[in-house]
Amino acid sequence: MEAPSHLWFGYVRRSPLILFVLVYTIISGGPFLWVVSMSLRTTPEIFASPYTLPTRLHWEKFAEAWTRSNYSTYFWNSTIVVVTAVVLLTVIGAMVAHCLARYRFRGSRLVRFVILTGLILPPQLLILSLFQILLEFDLYNTLTGLILVYVSGHLAVTVYILEGFFAQIPQDLFDAARMDGYSDFEIFRKITLPIGTPALFTTVTLNFIILWNEFLYAVVLLTEDDKRTLPLGIMHFMGSHQLDVGMLATGLMIAIAPIIFLYALFSETMIKGMTAGAVR
Amino acid sequence: MTPPGWLSWFGLGARQKADVDARRAAPLTLAMFLAPALLLYATFTVYPVLRTFWNSLHTIRPQNIQEFVGLANFTALLFTDPVFWKAVANTAIFTVVATIADVLGGLLLALCLFMGAPMAKLLRVVWFTPVLMSYVVVGVIWVWIYDFDWGLANLVLRSIGLGALQQSWLGDPHTALWSVMVTHIWKWLGFNMIIFLAALYALPSEVLGAAELDNCGWFAKLIYIIIPMLRPTIVNLLVLSFVGKMMVFDLVWIMTAGGPLWSTETVSTYVYKRAFDWNTFDLGYPSAIAVLWFGIILIFVFAMTHLLRSRDRLEF
Amino acid sequence: MGEVALNRLSKRYPGSSDFAVKEVSLTVADGEFMVLLGPSGCGKSSVLRMIAGLEPITGGTIAIDGKVINGVAARDRDIAMVFQSYALYPHMDVFDNLAFGLRRRDVPRPEIERRVRNVAAKLGLTPFLKRKPHALSGGQRQRVALGRAIVRDPKVFLFDEPLSNLDAGLRVTTRNELIRQQHEIGTTTIYVTHDQVEAMTMGDRICIMDKGEVMQIGPPLSVYRDPANTFVARFLGSPPMNLVPAVVETNAAPRLRIGGIVLPAANWPADRLHACGGKGLFGIRPEDIYEASPRPGDDRVRPVPATVIAVEPLGAETLLLLSIEGTAEEVTARSGRETRLRPGERTTVMLDTAAAHLFDAATTRAIERTTP
Repeated sequence: MEAPSHLWFGYVRRSPLILFVLVYTIISGGPFLWVVSMSLRTTPEIFASPYTLPTRLHWEKFAEAWTRSNYSTYFWNSTIVVVTAVVLLTVIGAMVAHCLARYRFRGSRLVRFVILTGLILPPQLLILSLFQILLEFDLYNTLTGLILVYVSGHLAVTVYILEGFFAQIPQDLFDAARMDGYSDFEIFRKITLPIGTPALFTTVTLNFIILWNEFLYAVVLLTEDDKRTLPLGIMHFMGSHQLDVGMLATGLMIAIAPIIFLYALFSETMIKGMTAGAVR
Repeated sequence: MTPPGWLSWFGLGARQKADVDARRAAPLTLAMFLAPALLLYATFTVYPVLRTFWNSLHTIRPQNIQEFVGLANFTALLFTDPVFWKAVANTAIFTVVATIADVLGGLLLALCLFMGAPMAKLLRVVWFTPVLMSYVVVGVIWVWIYDFDWGLANLVLRSIGLGALQQSWLGDPHTALWSVMVTHIWKWLGFNMIIFLAALYALPSEVLGAAELDNCGWFAKLIYIIIPMLRPTIVNLLVLSFVGKMMVFDLVWIMTAGGPLWSTETVSTYVYKRAFDWNTFDLGYPSAIAVLWFGIILIFVFAMTHLLRSRDRLEF
Repeated sequence: MGEVALNRLSKRYPGSSDFAVKEVSLTVADGEFMVLLGPSGCGKSSVLRMIAGLEPITGGTIAIDGKVINGVAARDRDIAMVFQSYALYPHMDVFDNLAFGLRRRDVPRPEIERRVRNVAAKLGLTPFLKRKPHALSGGQRQRVALGRAIVRDPKVFLFDEPLSNLDAGLRVTTRNELIRQQHEIGTTTIYVTHDQVEAMTMGDRICIMDKGEVMQIGPPLSVYRDPANTFVARFLGSPPMNLVPAVVETNAAPRLRIGGIVLPAANWPADRLHACGGKGLFGIRPEDIYEASPRPGDDRVRPVPATVIAVEPLGAETLLLLSIEGTAEEVTARSGRETRLRPGERTTVMLDTAAAHLFDAATTRAIERTTP
């Protein structure tokens, strides 16, 4: 990605720029590397000298975290919640986005307004009542309850992104399909979804990252240890085993591993996904 | 014999001209597309919001015993609650400083890459990483960095001879808020950077060429051409960042839980505490805080958008 | 004082193995209006941008008034440029757009006022000084771009296809205005375009380029009348020159054979005819093919039997598409307002061989005529 403007800025002195770049790279990437290193060392080793590389790679810590420290439970809870929520969000979000982008009907403006106001609702406005509501529906402290809350909470951003994309699909395709006798559902399945796949990718990525890391709703709506998602599990561990830095670091690695793995493979998609809501 | 009209609700029956219009669908079809989402949304978003408004006018005790108190919660909040005001002050400082810092910082990083830093592609990916990490991960790491004895912050100070400046970063009420702020900025710089980078690449290169011929060095180009042309992006990011920081909860909760001594208490952590961590259980009062704060955010967003938006379309 | 000399100028873009500009050498005299003409991708814009300093030079030198400016920054070259997209500063009003370059050069305020208002008046922009570019029409924006260059009073003006974004009518009026301005101001101008009408009407000299190389340089009419190769021959002129393969016979009196037709080859010296190895391309412009001889008695005007394939009445003239008898070759001829010819009709047309051209089929270069 050669800066097309290289000539415009050719006269910026190079050394301060490079120094700054180096420093910031260490600042932004360093902490992560430190965690990787710490996750493979035992706590006593870390306290002895916190910033050196591991002398022995203690892979067994991961097994330990997985089994003894309950990280397997947290991991599976997170997986179940996030995968289910993302699938639901994508499917029903796409249906709404398709509807709003494609069809004219009375009340479409109202529907659009109601859903898009969800973009600016602060979580605090919702959690207290959600707490009451889930209790009343007997969904408190259940993964199901959390999934439903997650889907509802992120519908706005999903619909916003998808609708913007779907609306750009040329109307001619739909007119032709209609004249060929396709039903509305077939049109949705055979035209909107295939053509809109990049946007679907974007929202899946965005939702996956946000929900995998989500903390506030989870901490209010889940209390039992065997229901905790990863962020909660780590917090809990931090609270009870603050000094076991080694084990905490291993837990952190388990939490960020899926994201880092996907990031290494799909960095462009993930960057685009995360910033999709903000780029016009 | 013409088919009965009610069939058209199901998308069946005589083909009318409107049927071929791909912009219309049978009401039942529309309902099936919209129903799952709307149902879920109504139950878990619209209803809770309305209920919070309702709650704010009541006192809610355990077993859901409600008592209408009118605006009493609000008046108590505004006139007799010093913790609330401390939280507001903290949140205000946090929001203003962190918003300006991470928008400016994002711009700076984007300019570095735009101006031809080597390996820009790789750097872009690395610099974006903090954005992807959960607040829990970020929080824990920085708690360790801020640790007095073996944390990196004090270690660096000691090694460059400024050992006298060592602090208990998160334990000292004077430095706690700023420490959390630095962490928050660290997490979000990459996000703003990506957006600015996209905007910079979208600038018409001929205009930059014209500026070059008009005797503009890189600094003059920045001040007179690039930043003015980036104004819409800057405003958008300021508003986005502002809203996000006004609602900050996760990071504060994880790093300091509002302490020490309310020095990092924000409006949202206070809401949480009043609801779940207080000696008396009452959901009405924190609901009032949430409602009031929402109103304030809306007002500010409106004001910012109207004041900062450039009057003309920057068409290019 | 604005002579521009390009000496074996070359440009290769990073990531490409091909040279976009191949050893272009060209001298533009002080005050001259030089047009760089050529199809898209021929390298003319790259040359212009290298002169401006907006594109790094891969090889060769550029000199202004004898001083090599390869390493000189764009802003120090005393050059002003009008871009194809006008490149106005969208957030500044017209006055500021015009004044910006002067302000950046620390010209005193009253002087800036004077010069800006002067140029604005000259270009009819005075009523728009407070407007921003988005509130201007295309033609007005173009004038602001021009004004921005004029107000700088530089040594050289560079124009990068400034008229291509204007609609046809506006293009003609603006073209004339540009010519007028240039004569008035007298600054050296280098003008890039792909439109041959602009080149023919505006340039003191034109430089035709193709695939990074200079094809020919010269005054427009000279280049038109004496194209150096088939590319130039077909690029200038609309409809383009007809090129027909011809066998060059030099055993006896030099002759050209096109199918069954024999034409004299007296225009060209015998040794050069020999050198082309028997295969030539005969070139004749549509306006040099007549229904009736323009100079009766002149035996250089030869009759050629042909069949009419199509008749295109354009109102002011008629284009005839003809097939030369005994060959598969088709030629286009220009005829008067009315013609009696019909498609399918067989007729005899008159070729003015005095105005004909001959090119070496292998090298595509023109075979020079014997000077009369």
